[in-house]
Amino acid sequence: MNILVTGGSGSGKSAYAEDLVMGLSGSNRIYIATMLPAGEEGLRRIARHHSLREGKGFVTVERYTDTGGLAGKEIQKEEHPAVLLECMSNLTANEIFSENGAGPSDAFEKIKADILRLSEETEHLVIVTNEVFSDGVLYEEETVRYQKILGEINCFLGQFCDVVIEVVYGIPVILKGGDRLENTVEQL
Amino acid sequence: MELIIGGSFQGKRDFALRKFPDRVFADAGTADLEALTKAEGILYFEKAVRRLMEAGEDPMRFTEELIADSPDAVIVSTEIGYGIVPLDAFEREYREAVGRACTRLASFSSCVTRVVCGMGMEIKHR
Repeated sequence: MNILVTGGSGSGKSAYAEDLVMGLSGSNRIYIATMLPAGEEGLRRIARHHSLREGKGFVTVERYTDTGGLAGKEIQKEEHPAVLLECMSNLTANEIFSENGAGPSDAFEKIKADILRLSEETEHLVIVTNEVFSDGVLYEEETVRYQKILGEINCFLGQFCDVVIEVVYGIPVILKGGDRLENTVEQL
Repeated sequence: MELIIGGSFQGKRDFALRKFPDRVFADAGTADLEALTKAEGILYFEKAVRRLMEAGEDPMRFTEELIADSPDAVIVSTEIGYGIVPLDAFEREYREAVGRACTRLASFSSCVTRVVCGMGMEIKHR
């Protein structure tokens, strides 16, 4: 099953997504970390997420671009992995702006292909994304392009995933597939 | 405790006053912060977070005190986490702090209502 978890900054979406994966079948839990470790604040954020995951039995794989490249290697169907990809807002920025990324013109197609590939090799794929679209601020062209690409990816994911959940201050608001979620998840 | 959230100018305050006509609501932008944890109603909770951070104090500690002192309070707060990560470090931290504080309030609250276009949608009810 494919699940999309979205929400704003500080909404508790990470903690929710982790607990969600804990309730899914499969003991083989893989966490794809997409945040490039940079700066003191970035390292602090990564450390915070590390401690959030502690004791939840995740194997962490750091992957900043080309997440589809993990399919068939670190992530294999035969092992029935439950994979948590966190988060799409970082991955999109990496694909657009970083040296090894696909670049702005190809980022959407690249990420879409990677997600389809990952989904083939996972028992459950949970993707965390971010709502960065509602502050009413007019940003410079580069940032607007980033918002547009992430928006397109989120729309694709919303269609593709069986379940879509918006986390609002720790409260799950089910946007799609509530019945499927109830049937699959043991504890929420 | 009840938490009422939503974007700016969505009618959160009117919604709160309609639902709780007999309550006194303190404005967190101007109220005395020491006394605010004992308020029966708070408007603009996010402003308390900003003022505390500007004073070098921990908004989570304030949040815990609020829960301890006023477990039946009605808290109204503006949702501010739905945009691009701010370039300014303080603004970044503020945005995150409001999220964490409200997540704590939401988990303690028996009812959480999100107001859009003046209409309240209960996203948690116990």
